[in-house]
Amino acid sequence: MSGFFATLKRIGSERDGRLGLAFTFAILVFALIRPLVSPDPNAIDIKARFAAPGLAHLLGTDNLGRDLAARTSVGTRYALTLAVMIVVISSIIGSLIGIVAGIAGGWVDRAVTAVFDIVNAFPPLILAFALIALYGKGSATFVLLVTVVFIPQFGRMARARAQTLRNLSFIEAERMLAVHPVTIVVRHYLPNVAGPIIVLASMNLPVVIAFEASLSFLGFGVQPPKSSLGTLIKDGFVSINQSWWPTVAAALVLAIATLGATLLGEALRRIIDPKSTGAR
Amino acid sequence: MTDAISISNAQLRFGETVALDGVSLSIRRGTCFGIVGESGSGKTTLMRAILGLQRLDHGEIRILCNPLVHSRAALKQRAGFIQPIFQDPAASLSPRSRIRTLMNEVGTVLREPHAATRERLGVILNRLGLPPGVIDKYPHEISGGQARRVAIARALLMKPSILIADEPTAGLDVSVQGDLLNLLQDIRRSDNITLVVISHNLAIVRLIAENAVVMRAGKVVEGGEIGSLFGSPQEVYTRDLLAAWPSIRAANTKR
Repeated sequence: MSGFFATLKRIGSERDGRLGLAFTFAILVFALIRPLVSPDPNAIDIKARFAAPGLAHLLGTDNLGRDLAARTSVGTRYALTLAVMIVVISSIIGSLIGIVAGIAGGWVDRAVTAVFDIVNAFPPLILAFALIALYGKGSATFVLLVTVVFIPQFGRMARARAQTLRNLSFIEAERMLAVHPVTIVVRHYLPNVAGPIIVLASMNLPVVIAFEASLSFLGFGVQPPKSSLGTLIKDGFVSINQSWWPTVAAALVLAIATLGATLLGEALRRIIDPKSTGAR
Repeated sequence: MTDAISISNAQLRFGETVALDGVSLSIRRGTCFGIVGESGSGKTTLMRAILGLQRLDHGEIRILCNPLVHSRAALKQRAGFIQPIFQDPAASLSPRSRIRTLMNEVGTVLREPHAATRERLGVILNRLGLPPGVIDKYPHEISGGQARRVAIARALLMKPSILIADEPTAGLDVSVQGDLLNLLQDIRRSDNITLVVISHNLAIVRLIAENAVVMRAGKVVEGGEIGSLFGSPQEVYTRDLLAAWPSIRAANTKR
């Protein structure tokens, strides 16, 4: 745990890291605490439609008079939950597949790499449409889809690390002691692969948030009356002539969330993996 | 007396490079055997082949009369006979595991209760002059000399009958080098272990080994009993190696 606080402190010691922490913290508070104290996000109040931001409605209201602060906070919570879930699942599965491919080499490695290449060859949105056409709309489809799209990224990184580790003395020493292969993977490969994987995961969080928003914007994500950042932007877009607030409010939250997560990810990368330069 | 390790006509190429070129040798049980040669002579490759970490193109390796087989079952069996001490012992300890965890792993492999492992470990640590508290540390928290002894302790915990040490004194200062060699010699005698020492340092091999071979470009150039090998070398290369080394001896005799 001291390692966690030490890392936080180091992130806070640079400007970008501080900004990232502040944005992320604000978004977390907004997403986690705001829904508990705010009015029902689906309560319709026609008299108050298109209200400007004020004391009653912090971010104003939409075309049905629903409180936008409440709706965006619910949407943000939804986006964050999905993003964390997807990144955690795909990083664990991807790491394990990548490590096994890296250790095994030979045809296993070639087969896994080929599958990764095939998945990566599809533009994510096209793949999304195909899977939605097959399995229908909904959160489960979305999680499945984005997890599949992100597994190769984690897999490739874990594979490369495992290939390097495989020939290091400490792994060979474990093999010479006939330690069980599963123990070697879990105890000696995973912790040494984890650093770059955590960095990649944190940098993928904003990508997933934005991806969820774009799918919902196109109408393939969350279905009404549930709100997500993407649907809020789209709904606001429809009535942008009457009021520009709904669009701006949701877009602003989306921007802060992705910017915060990106800055935080970058700062984390500089700390955990100081040798790498530039983006992924 | 039976052979601990016997190698016949070991051949291995890495692309164009010939790493092992018809190496044959036999190492008697309970002795200390030296493998000497310059960098790139194939010493470490030979060690990796003996350990089963590197497959040969041709030739056969027998360990305690059993042919070396590349399977998990064979590896498991072999682990009880033969253990390596790698060139960089700090790098041979998993960086994110406490030493206690690494030691317990050996107990798990041997299907031994943790208490029994701990007890044996206590004796070994004491013998190697390591403080008992060392097991609570991570490999990066101990010194190079300690890391080497921890690696030796881990190998000994496996109760091997053959130890192969690759450059056992590399990176240690001279006084620690002597201690370590004495320690290895003591362990060999008391536990009746066959010790194979691989080094580019003739002085070390001469000090500790009873028999040795000199390797060059993947071939055994010369081999035999240590006194005759270094006393009256038959090959030009061995003479050159010896000539390159005794600048210290010459300096000492001048005094």
